[in-house]
Amino acid sequence: MEPILLRAEHETNSKALTTSLKLGGYSALKKALIMNPEDIREEVKKSGLRGRGGAGFPTGVKWGFVPQDLPKPKYLICNADESEPGTFKDRKLIHTDPHMLIEGIIISSYAINAHTAYIYIRGEFYEEVQILEQAIAEAYKKHYLGKNILKTGYDLDVYVHRGAGAYICGEETALMESIEGKRGQPRLKPPFPAVVGLFGCPTVINNVETLACVPHIIERGADWFASIGRPRNTGPKLFCVSGHVNRPGVYELPLSVTYREIIEKHCGGVRDGKKLKGFIPGGSSAPVLPASAIDIKADFDSVAEAGSMFGSGALIVLDETTDMVWLLENLLTFYTHESCGQCTPCREGGNWALEIVRRIRRGYGRPEDLETLERISQFASRGMTLCPLGDAFCGPITGVLTHFRGEFEQAIAKAKPLPKKKLPALPVRSGRGTFGM
Amino acid sequence: MVSVTIDGHEIQVPEGTNVLEAAKKAGITIPHYCYHPALSVVGQCRVCMVEIDGAPKLATACSTQVRDGMNISTNSERATEARQAVLEFLLANHPLDCPVCDQAGECYLQDYAFDFGLDTTHMVEEKRTYPERERRMLGPHVIQNQNRCIHCTRCIRFTREISETHDLTMKARGNHQYIDTFNGEPYDNPWSACAADVCPVGALTVKEFRFRARVWRLEETRSICPGCSIGCNIMIGHRNGVVYRFMPRENAEINGWWMCDHGRFLAEDLNARDIDRPLIRSGGQLAPATWSDALEELARIIGAGTDARVIASANLSNEALYLAKKLFAEKLGLKMLVPVETGPGRSIKNAHKEWIRSEDPHPNATGARLIGLNVGDASRLQDFLITSSGPVVILDAGAHPLLASQDIIQAIKNQPIVAMANAHTPMTRAADLVFPVASWLEAEGTYTSSTGRVQLAERGAHPSDEAKAAWDILTLMARALGADPGPVTRPQQIFEELAAEVPAFAGMTYRRLSNEPGVPVLEEVAHVG
Repeated sequence: MEPILLRAEHETNSKALTTSLKLGGYSALKKALIMNPEDIREEVKKSGLRGRGGAGFPTGVKWGFVPQDLPKPKYLICNADESEPGTFKDRKLIHTDPHMLIEGIIISSYAINAHTAYIYIRGEFYEEVQILEQAIAEAYKKHYLGKNILKTGYDLDVYVHRGAGAYICGEETALMESIEGKRGQPRLKPPFPAVVGLFGCPTVINNVETLACVPHIIERGADWFASIGRPRNTGPKLFCVSGHVNRPGVYELPLSVTYREIIEKHCGGVRDGKKLKGFIPGGSSAPVLPASAIDIKADFDSVAEAGSMFGSGALIVLDETTDMVWLLENLLTFYTHESCGQCTPCREGGNWALEIVRRIRRGYGRPEDLETLERISQFASRGMTLCPLGDAFCGPITGVLTHFRGEFEQAIAKAKPLPKKKLPALPVRSGRGTFGM
Repeated sequence: MVSVTIDGHEIQVPEGTNVLEAAKKAGITIPHYCYHPALSVVGQCRVCMVEIDGAPKLATACSTQVRDGMNISTNSERATEARQAVLEFLLANHPLDCPVCDQAGECYLQDYAFDFGLDTTHMVEEKRTYPERERRMLGPHVIQNQNRCIHCTRCIRFTREISETHDLTMKARGNHQYIDTFNGEPYDNPWSACAADVCPVGALTVKEFRFRARVWRLEETRSICPGCSIGCNIMIGHRNGVVYRFMPRENAEINGWWMCDHGRFLAEDLNARDIDRPLIRSGGQLAPATWSDALEELARIIGAGTDARVIASANLSNEALYLAKKLFAEKLGLKMLVPVETGPGRSIKNAHKEWIRSEDPHPNATGARLIGLNVGDASRLQDFLITSSGPVVILDAGAHPLLASQDIIQAIKNQPIVAMANAHTPMTRAADLVFPVASWLEAEGTYTSSTGRVQLAERGAHPSDEAKAAWDILTLMARALGADPGPVTRPQQIFEELAAEVPAFAGMTYRRLSNEPGVPVLEEVAHVG
């Protein structure tokens, strides 16, 4: 496939406005600004573009939820918080072609009649903030932003807002709280952001990659976009591949390629010629899939059918040396640390599950532990929590217990009985994330 | 109105009601922690999960508004399991120190765990603790034990939405988050102890009440706060005549669910009794006497046709004030004054989030005015006392701070002084005749608040020793002075007479006062005050 989102990848000075213009940047904007906003929304709906942040919600449909007759201002937020472990595509996009994102933001803002847009970017992305600030300044100079954009009478201001590195601030309502200057905690829904969002006003929040797709849909039409991939799973996708492969990185491929193609063809296979044990298809909160699932298609619907989640398209490859108990402990450590603490099942359940897995790793597992883990993951997900972070830590639990239960059973079979006194401290394994726990 | 079915019971509720309140109306308890009717809905404890027909996921009852025809199940298998699981989560790190926890008996974690929880837990891990926050003065009145906290944030929302002092906040996050004040300053605001009231568990407790009594051994009496003229509704917790605490009692129109610390900690004052029988001065000393001797002495002092003056009190009930007026002003033609003062400003927020403020520290100055008594400030009280040389009858030794002033006592000490009190003051020590009066807990009576609401304070205990309620003493005084008030045996009879004679109280009965939470408003107050 010809590169679309990463078309500037091999350009020298790819971040500059001149490079972007050379490659056709901002031509979709000129086309869009003479279109009716409603037609843009319709075009995006027709393209079948689904949100690239993880949930895969149809973008055009989301835009349609914004009540256009309310007298309140409307906002567009670009979610560049990219905090799901394994995901680094937005960073790549900003590094490669920041103007593509800005163009997408302008067109999308125009489509929902917003005159203010925010880019919420995680605090750790310091370099990326500078890239974006630079690109925005260039865009203002060229009248792509500001008052009376390209003399069409449309006004838009874009602000970059840095977060402080909390995972939860990637959740849309927590992100809004954070922009508002409050503690980054998810809000109770409903009301949904499309109606009551940032500062109580209708708000659309889209991922960086989603917004970067918009100029291409306008430029080349919904039908062209829908011809990539397969029905309901259309368009190009940035796959971030990490873990035990020979060539990790970001790959732009059409949706619905197989995982075999990604791993074997593009990433050069599993590292050191080892055997594949499994893979996490959509960022670390997606349930892990076994090696036998390698032939499924990498798209929203196929992965959901296989019992996992396509998420942000971040593929984490695990070879045969991976200790699944360690993997679960590692992931739970992250999610427990990142729980905002607001609602009970996530706050209490996450830590409880982590303690159980730590105990199993220390060699004190009990046969009933696996049922308890399952019980926790049953009651801390699927609507039991205020936001999807509950599902995020339950995904890894269900994944490993479905496909790699044997490893846990083995660990438990060798276990010593639970001591009466305090458990000895867990030896710190190098490479294990230290999240301040 | 919309019609909903909850566990098979069909009920009608106003539109906009949430499922939790609708269930309450149907007599069904849905357990809840973060939800409080006065506070914003945050839906974060997740224990009020119910199953709604047609919804794929369970819903939190607190944040779901009823829709017409909604069919809600609080006890389906799914809802029951979810509730049990959430309670298990909440208890996972809870210390389960109920035997030494002061909240036991009025702890919602305890109650709901018994009613809705599992019998046992799957948890074998070590519990999370906050060693530095196990027993910590959060402020002058509130003690924190963060180990017990279930992170419902009710206390935080109380300081944000009700007291508007924004003192409390959540620090850190996840499983390690804890309640603290900004900058670690002491948690101190005029309503600080209410944060402990809204705390559903024993994480915040009130220092003054802590470890003084087990709540299930307390008797509770519905009363009115004696602290000022706002008339917050309170529940007095007492046992064997000893008062242990005041708790706010819900009244949407006056105090909502709240009361101020000033009023709350007057509870201890009710136990300060050192006058338990009539006292007569003989040979320069006050000596215990019988009631009949004391009343004879009263008749000797007043009955001589002197120009006795009577100082009533804005702290007395409507009944006592009415009787006093009838006896002293109308039958005996004596001069009477109700001294009042201006106190520090008090305020409370009602259930409609409106502030009620008052600088009148007396619970019944409005009642005194409505009954037609002469009300005056400190300078009038001074003139009233000094301009004559006749006997002085003080119906409440604590009616006004001037009555404890040595200058005043020196000025009138050669005149006969009769006083009613339950604890000694400089004035009672200078008096010639002292009647032991019942405490706030020991006498029934009605009081008229500054906003014109007549409210009933019930009696919780018999007067100790030989003390008697003010209305009772006034009845005896009337008989002793030859002005028989008729067969008065209960304050209710006096109130009925009062209601018949004083237009402002027309149509009121004790039954109405005790049954109607939104007590009657007096139109007349506007132009009386």
